[in-house]
Amino acid sequence: MKQFLKIFKVAFKAINKNRTRSILTMLGIIIGVASVIMTISVGEGASKSVKDQISGLGTNLLMIRTKSEHRAGVNVRMGKPLDKRDYDILKKNSVWMPKLSPLVGVGGQIIGPDSYKTSTVYGVSEEYFDILSRPISLGDIFTAEDVKSANKVCVIGETIREELFSGRDPIGQQIRIDKVPFTVVGLLKEEGQGTMGQDQDDIVIGPYTTIQNRLYGNSDYSMIVASAINENAIDDAEFETTLLLREAHNLLPDQEDDFDITTQVEIQEISGNVMNMLTILLGAIGSISLIVGGIGIMNIMLVSVTERTREIGTRLAIGARESDILTQFLIEAIVLSLAGGFLGVILGVIGNQIVYKATAFFIPTVPYSILIGFGFAAVVGIAFGYFPARKAAKLNPIDALRYE
Amino acid sequence: MPQKKVIETKKVSRVFKNGDIEVQALTDVDLIIEAGEFVAIMGASGSGKSTFLNILGCLDKPSSGNYFLDGVHVNNLNKNQLADIRNQKIGFIFQSYNLLSRTTALENVELPLVYDRTGRFSNSKELAKKALEQVGLENRIYHKTNELSGGQQQRVAIARALVNDPTLILSDEATGNLDSRASIDIADLFVRLNNEGKTILMITHEPEIAQFAKRMVYMRDGRILTDEIIKNRSTKESALKDLELTN
Repeated sequence: MKQFLKIFKVAFKAINKNRTRSILTMLGIIIGVASVIMTISVGEGASKSVKDQISGLGTNLLMIRTKSEHRAGVNVRMGKPLDKRDYDILKKNSVWMPKLSPLVGVGGQIIGPDSYKTSTVYGVSEEYFDILSRPISLGDIFTAEDVKSANKVCVIGETIREELFSGRDPIGQQIRIDKVPFTVVGLLKEEGQGTMGQDQDDIVIGPYTTIQNRLYGNSDYSMIVASAINENAIDDAEFETTLLLREAHNLLPDQEDDFDITTQVEIQEISGNVMNMLTILLGAIGSISLIVGGIGIMNIMLVSVTERTREIGTRLAIGARESDILTQFLIEAIVLSLAGGFLGVILGVIGNQIVYKATAFFIPTVPYSILIGFGFAAVVGIAFGYFPARKAAKLNPIDALRYE
Repeated sequence: MPQKKVIETKKVSRVFKNGDIEVQALTDVDLIIEAGEFVAIMGASGSGKSTFLNILGCLDKPSSGNYFLDGVHVNNLNKNQLADIRNQKIGFIFQSYNLLSRTTALENVELPLVYDRTGRFSNSKELAKKALEQVGLENRIYHKTNELSGGQQQRVAIARALVNDPTLILSDEATGNLDSRASIDIADLFVRLNNEGKTILMITHEPEIAQFAKRMVYMRDGRILTDEIIKNRSTKESALKDLELTN
């Protein structure tokens, strides 16, 4: 142990003596570790924000749609469109889905006091806000009575308020959707960008009855959204819906469903898999730069061994054992890569902050990425330092002393 | 009073094999050097004197014959034991000094103590300073090697050879890279160290340097040709006078 400490000091002096070269050697590891940390963080950050948004929709969510198939580049509806009859059957008979809402989506020109804007208009029931977990920040949602009477009221998103009311209080104000006047009764709490980058606050929501009568001119629904009692009831809810709708649509046992049910769990699983793949892929790219950095260390150490052949010969002649030389060069490599790893961690964390500041895309520095980066740096140091160190230790002192 | 034998070789031979060609570098060399001797080995290049020095310095082993260093039978030692014996019993001095560059004189002199496993030295800095005083470099302790002249660098190397208190100092053409005046200084330093009781063996091809020693061994073709006591030993004064006459 005492001998190890002495050799450690020798190795440290040698690193310090060649400061420029040491820093250049470390650079590869620094960049490698920093990129591992940053790429893993980007992957984790992306996957976290996607997960957050999906679960923000409510994990109990079910979306029931008419079956459609992608044919020759267009979605072709395969079954009977969902309508009031389907909704009523589900509403009346469902055990597992206490909340249900039709959804009718149209595009429209929204005209306010200050400006106008083309936006998405959803027609839903008052239960929609609970199903999708969209809270209200000002005013209130419309009532079941509004739905029943097809009143011309609506709830708007923050983006609409910004554009049409220049940020003023919109409650009780009039807007027009295409040519139909609506009274604003509520303002949705700001949600930000969605999973696919769409603006979730650029929206107007009204009673589906009003939207159908005044704007849609059609009794079909785009979909029916529902929430199961709890997460564990999703499968039951899905099964129940299948039975009820098959019966309602008079489907024979050998016929396929003419509707599709998408649950939140499925969406989460799919996007989770995609995001994990992304993280692994990014991490792999980072690791490659770390390996390149390791080869850099090996390269410099090999050059260093050749350049210091005489020094090694001298050390052997005055009584260094092979193991002393091996230890010295191995320590040099490990110290370089660990120091590089340490600086790389700092650079990676700072880099994360810079990306955050620049893009507002939050990247948490994941603790395990620091561990991976640092551990990998140590392994690289030992693996790529061992070969040059062995070469140094195995030098014949007589030849090494005469080396020019 | 019979002196302790520092070196004893019995029929030491060394054969180098290079493919099918065998080169007989040393043939049946018998040599005894006792404590307190100052021996110069001379010979043309290829005479086997470097091979002999490598064996005496435990850097190489004889192909046949026996070598005893300070009573230790070197033939039987493994690599680590050879390293340790070099560290404890031998002080090496090389033609090109072989100092660590950009490192202070003190750190260079301390170097052999880094590899000491006996724990017999407690304060390596003090020992290194003392060794530097012995070679007259007490004012250059913290100078880096590149700030020193050739003669001074060789003195640092000599201090490094002294610091572990070896039984034998081996010098391989220590004056080969130095001018005449610096060479005489180094040779004079050897005489002083020998007077203080150090056993010194030096290889040289300069007769005027060899003349400082007490005994001269002349080698040719891997054998000892002559081995005699030097009668008119040079001193620093006589050597400097000769130097002036020739110029």
